[in-house]
Amino acid sequence: MRAKTAILVAVLVGLHLVLLSAGFFAPYDPTTQDRELPYAPPTRLHFEDDSGFHLRPFVYAWTSVLDGNYSGSYEEDRSHEYPVHFVVQGPRYKLFGVFETNVHWFGAIEPGRVLLFGTDGYGRDEFSRVLFGGQISVAAGLTATFIALLTGSVLGIIAGYYGRWVDETLMGVTELFLSLPWLYFLLGVRAFLPLHLSTLRTFFLLTGVIGLIGWARPARLVRGLVLSSRNRNYVLAARGFGGSDVYLLRRHILPETFGVLLTQAALLVPKYIAAEVTLSFFGLGVSEPVPSWGNMLSTLQQYSVLISYGWLWAPACAVIVTSVLYSYLADVLHSQLKSHST
Amino acid sequence: MNYIGRRLVRAILLLIGVSALCFLLTEMAPGSFFDEMRLNPQISPQTIAALRSRYGLDQPLIVRYGRWMKSALHADLGYSIAYSTPVTPLLWSRAKNTLLLTTTALLLTWMIAVPLGVWTAARRGGLLDKTVSLASAFFVSVPELVIAVALLAIVVRWRILPVGGMVSADFEVFSAGAKLQDVILHLALPVSILVLCETAVIVRHVRASVLEVLGARYIEVARGFGTSPTRLLFRHVLPVAANPAVSLLGFSLAGLLSGSLMVEMVCGWPGLGPLLLEATLSRDLYLVIGGIMFSALFTVGGNFVADVMLLALDPRIRRDGDGDRADAS
Amino acid sequence: MKLIRLTLHVCLLTGACFAAAPVPDAAKPGEEMARMADVSGHYGGHLTIGQRSEPKTLNPVTVTDAVSREVIGRLMGDLIEINRSTQQTEPALAKSWKISPDGRAFTLQLRKGIRFSDGHLFDADDVVFSFSVYMDEAVDSPQRDLLIIDGKPMVVTKLDQYTVQFVLPRPYAAAERLFDGLAMLPKHLLEKQYRDGHFAQAWSLNVQPAEIAGLGPFRLKQYVPGQRIVVERNPYYWKVDRENQRLPYLDELVFLFVGSEDAQVMRFEAGETDIVSRLSAENYNLLSREKSHAGSQLADMGPSLEYNFLLFNLNDLSGKKLDQVARKQAWFRDLRFRQAISAAVDRDSIVRLVYGARGAALWGNVGPGNKLWINQNIPHPPRSVETARQILKSAGYSWNSAGQLLDAAGRPVEFSVITSSSNSQRMKMATLLQDDLSHLGMQIHVVPLEFRAMIDRVFQSFDYDAAVMGLGGGDADPNPEMNVWASAGTSHLWHLGEVQPASDWERELDQLMQQQMVTLDYAKRKQLYDRAQELIAQNLPFIFLGTPNILAGADSRVGNFHPAVLDPYTLWNADELYVRGPAQESAGVR
Repeated sequence: MRAKTAILVAVLVGLHLVLLSAGFFAPYDPTTQDRELPYAPPTRLHFEDDSGFHLRPFVYAWTSVLDGNYSGSYEEDRSHEYPVHFVVQGPRYKLFGVFETNVHWFGAIEPGRVLLFGTDGYGRDEFSRVLFGGQISVAAGLTATFIALLTGSVLGIIAGYYGRWVDETLMGVTELFLSLPWLYFLLGVRAFLPLHLSTLRTFFLLTGVIGLIGWARPARLVRGLVLSSRNRNYVLAARGFGGSDVYLLRRHILPETFGVLLTQAALLVPKYIAAEVTLSFFGLGVSEPVPSWGNMLSTLQQYSVLISYGWLWAPACAVIVTSVLYSYLADVLHSQLKSHST
Repeated sequence: MNYIGRRLVRAILLLIGVSALCFLLTEMAPGSFFDEMRLNPQISPQTIAALRSRYGLDQPLIVRYGRWMKSALHADLGYSIAYSTPVTPLLWSRAKNTLLLTTTALLLTWMIAVPLGVWTAARRGGLLDKTVSLASAFFVSVPELVIAVALLAIVVRWRILPVGGMVSADFEVFSAGAKLQDVILHLALPVSILVLCETAVIVRHVRASVLEVLGARYIEVARGFGTSPTRLLFRHVLPVAANPAVSLLGFSLAGLLSGSLMVEMVCGWPGLGPLLLEATLSRDLYLVIGGIMFSALFTVGGNFVADVMLLALDPRIRRDGDGDRADAS
Repeated sequence: MKLIRLTLHVCLLTGACFAAAPVPDAAKPGEEMARMADVSGHYGGHLTIGQRSEPKTLNPVTVTDAVSREVIGRLMGDLIEINRSTQQTEPALAKSWKISPDGRAFTLQLRKGIRFSDGHLFDADDVVFSFSVYMDEAVDSPQRDLLIIDGKPMVVTKLDQYTVQFVLPRPYAAAERLFDGLAMLPKHLLEKQYRDGHFAQAWSLNVQPAEIAGLGPFRLKQYVPGQRIVVERNPYYWKVDRENQRLPYLDELVFLFVGSEDAQVMRFEAGETDIVSRLSAENYNLLSREKSHAGSQLADMGPSLEYNFLLFNLNDLSGKKLDQVARKQAWFRDLRFRQAISAAVDRDSIVRLVYGARGAALWGNVGPGNKLWINQNIPHPPRSVETARQILKSAGYSWNSAGQLLDAAGRPVEFSVITSSSNSQRMKMATLLQDDLSHLGMQIHVVPLEFRAMIDRVFQSFDYDAAVMGLGGGDADPNPEMNVWASAGTSHLWHLGEVQPASDWERELDQLMQQQMVTLDYAKRKQLYDRAQELIAQNLPFIFLGTPNILAGADSRVGNFHPAVLDPYTLWNADELYVRGPAQESAGVR
């Protein structure tokens, strides 16, 4: 059991580190357009050529083939081979937003391009965009979770601890929040925001919105917990000994909630990543040219793209992998919690 | 009785709150229905202004809200500007289609999820348990949107099912049997998407709550006394495990009208979702508000039914009076 | 085997002929029909067309959306029609007309013996009634403004049972084009509702087929909410084909509400619909690649009449608290700034990446699709970032070490471009522009807004820097565009609410547009409009980007499929469409 948890956590941490240092792992800048290569399929890595087997893979360049109707298909140009090198120099970027460097994990000499996931409609490298997009999407999920849990806990504790009227009002408000079909409203909300918000501000607004809509469930959960622990014997005893409200909350009641909150967090992160994906899909997230998994998937709304360019499903796979990992984490935490409490 | 009474009052207050919030939020969104005409160089602003005032769109918010409240009490939810017909029959004709979709999905989901959840809990660690766990973890994690679009792509590529609409173009000339088959074929895709997503969630919860009960002391005692597994299951385990399940059912019922927007949009199902979406985007004010109130009615109603069912099921609530629905998460 | 199949086909066809709707009667004596001398086909069958969203009403007077108009147009008849293929007017319900020498009075002769789809006779009373409804202020029809010239309404008088006179307040070029789209209403069905003041509620989608009648090729058969509208042949339709057979050929036409353009394509691919209009280039290419549609008729009709452009906010912002925008206007108002941008825009990429090479770049408001009015002498300079940089330098701009563009006061040039989030093509254009202008050191922010929110900013609050929008596409004639180019016009987007022309060239443009509006001779009008196009292309109130081609498709069994560049692209000749038999299908694509 322990080993499994450790591996899971390691994989998750690794994933986050890769996303954090997306600039290094991505061979190209996510916003550089290449107008000669729209919708190019992933470049194939070759190990064998006429002179035999090579340990170092190489790629061919794509050239577009235009038949009479402009169908825009691509063919490998076998005249030049471009070997793939590791730890190369490429476009400049800022690692962690601070250190300027131009070292990338892999790449090929120009004009060879290693397009692991192909390109999108503007000729931008999909692999780089998936990595950078993950920064936005996962960060959105984590931030929104934090906001939701913080707000929810505070309100839940107040409701649970002080009971009766406070409780009823707060629960009524949470039901109100849960009853509204938010998608409709959000579609109109973008309209009356200031015209230009920097990416950062849009990001925080987005996560704020998701988090503030989502505080309702954690609030109820925490409230339930506080209610049940409020009347435990040791709490009553502590009160009898003269403990103040704050002391009781801090020392006895809050610790009960940590485990549950942690599990909730692991459950909510994939949900909020999905929420970001859905909102960006409808155009409510960060705007061009900044990538996020959601706005990359919105190109799939077009039927022609949906069935012709399968490599553009890459962000969906990324979302799935991340979500599954988090779900497993939640499961593991949950069962550990159970085994501790019984 | 007090419990039910309190819930009822809360439900009504909630509906009023939703309606007020609706009006407020739609007021804040800029633009009105007739703005599309501004782009047409051949229509004068005077005409646009005249149309706005004819539909009362230039009245202050309070006045409009008051008038709407009065007529809403008579079940008249106002007038749709786009369709030039009253809102209520328009909504109802589409809500029927949505309800067909979601009720079918609800029934199928619960019919599959509950036995599956109980079985995998009883045979914990077995092959079925592992497979179901894996599958449900997958479907819970993936956003519904992605599943919907993926299934759509598959269905269209391989022409497995008809795509879009509720019936085929020459539906009227079909025999009764063919009509049923036609609707079922069109239902298949959207229902599958809904069932896949929801079953995963519910199976996990049912399994978890059954497992929790199975581990309790009194179950061990009953087993020690030699109670048969069937009797154990139906008499001792299920009634207790039902509490969270009933809450879930309440959430499912609550989502009958609002939960399928995405699926309806992607599959082209002629339900409430696409109608409301277009109304929102075109600022067809009373249609939007009416539609949201319809959904809210179902949501609040679903929660209320769940509360009542819980009251009947769980004697602890009757005794304590302040129990609440356990939370689905 | 072949013989059996043949016999089977013959039996089926005969059976179908008997089972299908009865063939319409030949023209009766005294019924003056319009003969379409180059149209032939045969009766029977139905065709299905998908619609992107749902029609909202069947009332031709109050209709505002294009989807409803697509349906209404098949049910209603006009006095004079514009043939979408030739873009010229043709007699319709009016068999002939005379224009007075001063160009103000039109006397129309109506066809005799014509009936509405319910059998009731049509005459001048219906015409007078229809126009009184259109022009009634209490009804607020969007079409009313078409009939008001210079603030004065048209005067409609009945001269006798089949003659009507229209007097315009002043001469108006190509006035007969106004009549296309003004449906003639049945007085006997609508008069009561009109007198009672309930006209806006008339002919909603729930109307009973018996209560609605028109002079179009089809009449309403059935409406299924949320799903489809079925229209059937109008047995009293007044057009005949080459062999004097009464049109339309089709028994039924079905409008299926499919929800989106992509759904349209999916259903067409699946064979559920027979006609699809306004395809995007990607979908067009997709369909042409599909083997199963080898026989489909896919038509690329060439550039449309719409023009897409980048618009800068040049409105007068005094009195509004929009300081940030006002500061940026110093850049926007400088013609050289706009010229530089126009030089830096990569129009080729727009045509390739946004329109899939099925489009045309634009440097003026009239594109190659409008053969009658385009000014061929407007220069089409190729993209040159160098030229753009030089222009900026001469205008006092400079670049800092990071490559950012700074104005004369040292402020970095940065602005936002709004566009409608529901139009993916314009969003793509905005993204390409963003990249193009970054080569000049400008920082552009693309802000997709919900459609109505964008309209609000452009028309009301003026709280925006720049926008990517599109106009046009309605008619080839310049007159419908008056409100865009006239300085007091309500669609004068870059500077709304001008009391006086803001600059010399706008004054000249005003005069030119006014003159061409009242000049009746085409050659003279063309000269005036050419000069107007020149002024527009030189002064760049809009930076023109491109226009898509009109792409449409039909199943191989659709006969007489002649899509046009003007709306409605595929159904304008719905009365001539027919369903080919199996033998004709295998003859392949037209």
